[in-house]
Amino acid sequence: MTPLLEIDNLRVTFDTRHGMVTALDSVSLHLNAGETLGVVGESGCGKSITALSVMGLIPQPPGRIAGGSIRLNGEDLVGAEPARLRSLRGSDVAMIFQEPMTSLNPVLRCGDQIAEAVMLHQNVDSARASRLAVELLDRVGIPAPAQRARDYPHQLSGGMRQRVMIAMAVSCRPKVLVADEPTTALDVTVQAQIFDLLNEIQRDVGAAILLITHDMGAISEMADRVAVMYAGRVVEQGKADDVLDHAEHPYTRGLIDCIPALGRRDDTLREIPGVVPPLHLLGDGCAFASRCAHADRRCLAQKPVLTKWRHHPVACHAVEEGRI
Amino acid sequence: MSLSFILRRLGYGVLLIFGVVVLNFLLIRLAPGDPAVVIAGEMGGATEEILDRIREDYGLNQPLTTQLAIYVGNVLQGDLGQSFFFNQPVSRLIAQRIGPTILLVLTAQVLSILLGVFLGVIASRKPNGPASAFVSIFATIGYAVPVFWTGIMLIILFASVVPIFPIEGIQSVRLRDAPLLVRGLDIAHHLVLPAFTLAVVYLAQYARLSRASMLDVLGSDYIRTARAKGGSERAILFKHALRNAALPILTIAGMQFGNLISGALLVETVFNWPGIGRLAFDSILRRDYPTIMGVLFFASAAVVVANILTDLSYRWADPRLREQ
Ligand SMILES: Nc1ncnc2c1ncn2[C@@H]1O[C@H](COP(=O)(O)OP(=O)(O)OP(=O)(O)O)[C@@H](O)[C@H]1O
Ligand SMILES: [Mg+2]
Repeated sequence: MTPLLEIDNLRVTFDTRHGMVTALDSVSLHLNAGETLGVVGESGCGKSITALSVMGLIPQPPGRIAGGSIRLNGEDLVGAEPARLRSLRGSDVAMIFQEPMTSLNPVLRCGDQIAEAVMLHQNVDSARASRLAVELLDRVGIPAPAQRARDYPHQLSGGMRQRVMIAMAVSCRPKVLVADEPTTALDVTVQAQIFDLLNEIQRDVGAAILLITHDMGAISEMADRVAVMYAGRVVEQGKADDVLDHAEHPYTRGLIDCIPALGRRDDTLREIPGVVPPLHLLGDGCAFASRCAHADRRCLAQKPVLTKWRHHPVACHAVEEGRI
Repeated sequence: MSLSFILRRLGYGVLLIFGVVVLNFLLIRLAPGDPAVVIAGEMGGATEEILDRIREDYGLNQPLTTQLAIYVGNVLQGDLGQSFFFNQPVSRLIAQRIGPTILLVLTAQVLSILLGVFLGVIASRKPNGPASAFVSIFATIGYAVPVFWTGIMLIILFASVVPIFPIEGIQSVRLRDAPLLVRGLDIAHHLVLPAFTLAVVYLAQYARLSRASMLDVLGSDYIRTARAKGGSERAILFKHALRNAALPILTIAGMQFGNLISGALLVETVFNWPGIGRLAFDSILRRDYPTIMGVLFFASAAVVVANILTDLSYRWADPRLREQ
């Protein structure tokens, strides 16, 4: 069976004042119908750029898809006609953004913004679209949906706005729902509600979800499979349980160690030492080498390739050589 | 939008106009010499009889506070005094000329906003493109060149090089008794050069402002959301972006209204347009104080009204400013 969404060898570059940088390099991911693929990694590793590539929304310039392909049901979205992309966007692939506070248009009513999405892709008049918008608001758990539909975004809380975004995104029953850190900007209690809602919606609509997060906890609860990204590359990939139980890449292990375990004795919040190197300073070696306890000469000189050595594909010389 | 806000705003407006009336009153008293002579005007060659009548009318023999009360009372009744130079009540002088000025100022205002915003939107689509460069150059020139210079250059151009627009007056003598429609067209024909001259400066400003404002808005998250829905480029520019970008333009348009009226003084003089500005010019040359004061009163009332309208439209356009 061919996957619903297949990203193959994707390379995205940006023109910056440091010259051209490669934000995504050789990224290959796939998403089967109805499943949830988690993408994790620290800030700046290219999660949002991956999501925006799928949506065809990389800001160009300065950005550019320099290579690879993104296939939806076998149709390549890279280089597709703008009109074709517009008709897919919002209907077959939809996205929930990281920033609920700023992602809704401040001068338009929430209901109208949802109704607009409906009318763009379904053959309904505006009265019917408005009614659908209210139904959708109800569906995503917004109390008094008819009144809220007439509200402007600033009248709603962050959690409510994210629900509005979700209602908008699922309004045309997309096949692929890209959720870019949908809960990062929200309170912890609201986060759990939003994840529950996404699970329900997925069952309802049957959408496959590309769930982007930097939260390993969310991955263990939501994802069927997971891809770990670092500095624009996928460094480890596999079934979520498998990756969580048998993490191989030192970076993935670091991320898992960062999950605050309830009742853990030492109160210190663990973190991976060092910071992600800026893209323009990436050299020939493994991007993680400067922060890795297992790095040797080869790690500094040569980029490891994603290959299955033991459990699942991982890009690490130390794993390949059996050093860890 | 609450009634109390509108009332409060109107209250401020009335206070402001009252302040102008008091200043007007003081103006005459501060002018050197006998106020009666000042009011009669230097060119009047006023007889002792006329001066006595003025002293009587204005209560010049009574205490200052009584004089102020008389003056304010007169203004409230629509009596702005008598112009001895024109030998007519000032209120009638203004009433005769108010139409042409309003026509000129509103045409210039609408022209500069529509054309300026249109240019700005076009330029914002490709910030490094030729349209953008044209707008920048045009804006700099338009901003730097004085109004009367533009007017005189246009007169030279259309008087001798391409005589397609009349360069003087508001209508042709031979069409005075023509049917209404013909006269209307004739006036519109005469309006072209003065209105354009007056509009150029502001047109340039609006173009630059709306370009910057649009660029700002086009980079925002909610525009990305609109794209993610699959909205067309036109819907994104005009429905989502312009409505937000228009907010700063509205503010500036309101603030510029006073400048537009003082600009009308120059334009009306250059093109011999029979409006308030022309009246102001003539009365200043003749030191016809009652008329000067009448013009000041009219201009400040117009600015106050324009500011109130701006405030209301601003609140109407930005739901975040509306009170619940
Ligand atoms: N417009 C741009 N111009 C230049 N570089 C960019 C641009 N947008 C993104 N990048 C670069 O691409 C890299 C990946 O960014 P991305 O937004 O995908 O990170 P992320 O993984 O989503 O991080 P976060 O968790 O903070 O959202 C970053 O290092 C950033 O510097
Ligand atoms: Mg991101």
